[in-house]
Amino acid sequence: MVKAVTAPVTLDTVAIGQSARVRTVHGTDHIRRRLLEMGLCPEVEVEVLRRAPLGDPIELRVRGYLLSVRGDHARQVEMHPPGSA
Amino acid sequence: MITATLSSPPRPDVRAAVRSVALAGNPNSGKTTLFNALTGLHQKVANYPGVTVERKSGRCLLPGESVATEIIDLPGTYSLIASSPDERVTANVLFGRQDQVRLPDAVVVVIDASNLPRSLYLVTQLIDCGRPLVVALNMSDIAARRGLVVDHAALERILGVSVIPMVSHHRRGLADLMRALTCARVPAGVSWPLPQPLLTQMRTLGAALGPDAGAIGGTAHRLLIGDLDGELGNVAMTHAAALAEASRSLAGQGVDAVEADITARYRWIDTVVEQVVVRQPSAERRSLTERVDSLLMHPVLGLVIFTLVMALVFISVFWIAQPLMDGLQDGITRIGAFITAHLADGPLKSLLTDGIIKGVGSVVVFIPQIAILFLFLAILEDSGYLARAAFLMDRILAKVGLHGKSFIPLLSSFACAIPGIMATRTIENRKDRLATILVAPFMSCSARLPVYILLIESCFYPVLPARYQAVGKGLIMLGCYVLGIVAAGGIAWLFRHSLLRREVRSSFILEMPSYKLPQFSEVARQMWVNSSKFLTKAGTVIFAFAVLLWAAMYWPRLPQESAQHVAAQVASLPSAEANVSLDERIADAQQSAQISQSYAGKFGHAIAPALAPIGADWKTGIGLVGAFAAREVFVSTLGIVYGVGDTEERGTGRLSAQLQRDHRENGLKVWSPLAATSILVWFVLAMQCMSTVAVVRRETGGWGWAIAMLVFMNALAYVSCLGIYQIGSRIWGG
Repeated sequence: MVKAVTAPVTLDTVAIGQSARVRTVHGTDHIRRRLLEMGLCPEVEVEVLRRAPLGDPIELRVRGYLLSVRGDHARQVEMHPPGSA
Repeated sequence: MITATLSSPPRPDVRAAVRSVALAGNPNSGKTTLFNALTGLHQKVANYPGVTVERKSGRCLLPGESVATEIIDLPGTYSLIASSPDERVTANVLFGRQDQVRLPDAVVVVIDASNLPRSLYLVTQLIDCGRPLVVALNMSDIAARRGLVVDHAALERILGVSVIPMVSHHRRGLADLMRALTCARVPAGVSWPLPQPLLTQMRTLGAALGPDAGAIGGTAHRLLIGDLDGELGNVAMTHAAALAEASRSLAGQGVDAVEADITARYRWIDTVVEQVVVRQPSAERRSLTERVDSLLMHPVLGLVIFTLVMALVFISVFWIAQPLMDGLQDGITRIGAFITAHLADGPLKSLLTDGIIKGVGSVVVFIPQIAILFLFLAILEDSGYLARAAFLMDRILAKVGLHGKSFIPLLSSFACAIPGIMATRTIENRKDRLATILVAPFMSCSARLPVYILLIESCFYPVLPARYQAVGKGLIMLGCYVLGIVAAGGIAWLFRHSLLRREVRSSFILEMPSYKLPQFSEVARQMWVNSSKFLTKAGTVIFAFAVLLWAAMYWPRLPQESAQHVAAQVASLPSAEANVSLDERIADAQQSAQISQSYAGKFGHAIAPALAPIGADWKTGIGLVGAFAAREVFVSTLGIVYGVGDTEERGTGRLSAQLQRDHRENGLKVWSPLAATSILVWFVLAMQCMSTVAVVRRETGGWGWAIAMLVFMNALAYVSCLGIYQIGSRIWGG
């Protein structure tokens, strides 16, 4: 499958039920640190479980537990394209 | 294990005594249950100096010790690089920089077997911290249900410290843990490979900072990964140039210290998990929590269930509490009546019945409601649903600058703002928490309800067309609640765009804990602790104001000749009410004359000019003075002023009739629907409750916000009432 190189995939664009691996976490503030500390580090697999009724926050499964983050936090998390090895 | 030889028998007295132990762990790790199991009822709850973080400590006699060891239950934390006041306290205690807390002799870290990787992250930081450590491996039962078995012996070998498997709510493993604490070891020989550039910079920077500063977990390491708490902030300032140089050099090599450090820890954790977790084919493909969540967090059904749960909580708080409240009120009235019958008239009798007993009464009637509310809060929290409520509500609340976690405190405030404000402690961000505290009193609390009912029944009921009376009454009541909510939203938004503008982004990074059945003992304890806090913190203020108010209404005494004059006047007039005896009417009228010329009455008269523009007179003024003890006192004070006696004993029927009959000199009704609307709006928006102000002072750590709240709420209320009455009276006339 050939895929056009487009804008980086971020966690907030991953569809519900899809999994993807983290490439890196952008930003410089305390939120970035906390996302990393909660286990969202490079190469970890993340599954998007659901969104809250108004589309935000997003619930994730990461490292075997459930974590909720706001959409604008998820935008900081750049992912490998879903389905890529 | 220390092996004893013949030449040196075991001598426990040689070992340093373990005088204090700190319990650390992630939130929801079962830490508090372990703390309760260790300390039993020997607990103390206070605040750490200068912050509103609870300092929970207790005593426990460890085997072989002669003196009980202090056990400190640290606030739950995900990281020792703090992102909230709670986490800061934990880090401060563990690094020995917390005022009035000595560096613990040993640390217990509670880890969740069902959530091992993230638990181990905190363990890696504690290893860096270098205190003697014991690991309590909790929740193995939940892990087993998911097909995860943790080999604790293997984990013990890897970490080099004792790992004690336990199920803390069954007290299993407790004795082992206590034994392990007496010989806790500093973890040694554990390390995770950090990238070479980071190590190099740690050494370079460390050399500039002083001896040992370049080691793993040392000053240079902690500065590079952005830990600026405590003395590190000063070090970073004095060595700003060297630190900037190190960061620049790392960036040049494509290394980000924070990401590299955390990733290195998690890589190591992954290898540890590989070695210690035995995966068994699980009976459940999806965990119970996930199956429950697919229902409770469903976009449609989830919201329906959420609404039902909250409605149930809310209705129960009123329904279950009502009979209890009535019973208490009845009992108090009886005690009052008993004293009335057995004491001679005079200041002492009045102090006892109208001051002390009424004061105690106005505190005690709140208790059933408060206790039930705290019960539900504890159940919601212990079951894991609180996090889901925050998840469901975050988006809506974020629109006005609040947080998902603001929802439950605001809901609680419909019963009473005090438990609501106390419940804001779960909000990490200080400004999110402040904004929630500041708008919580806009929620119509149960003490406003008697006032709403009196005014709606007396002032609107008669003017509504007969067939719409019931609906109209309901709508006005609903309007009061809605007005409070709208005001809260608007004020929160205003604060977030002015004084409470965010310097740092507000975050919502929230673990959704596994559901569990709430434990009775934990829930009961929570309810007890919080209810007694309400009694001591709010109850004393309510009581003090009630007694003060009594004195202001009792003195100065009505002169004898005035009393006789009032009696003669009442006797000369025909009675409007056939069922009230002359003696009673005289007594009521004298009481009314007394209060009118008392200090409280004089104050009411004094503020009358300020009340006229919002449609009220001096009688309402005295009622408002009464409302400072607790809002519902407005009703009974107004009863006395209008000479219909004590509404608590006789109901509000006669007061309603009197309000209808009261006319101004120009022949217009004092309690016209417009004037009543104005006073209703006053009660929705104004801050009159002194116990709330006292609790805000306590929870915000100073008078500043408490006084600001008092001023802005009352200013908002006054201006709103002024607008309503002035515009209204121009359109409809007085």
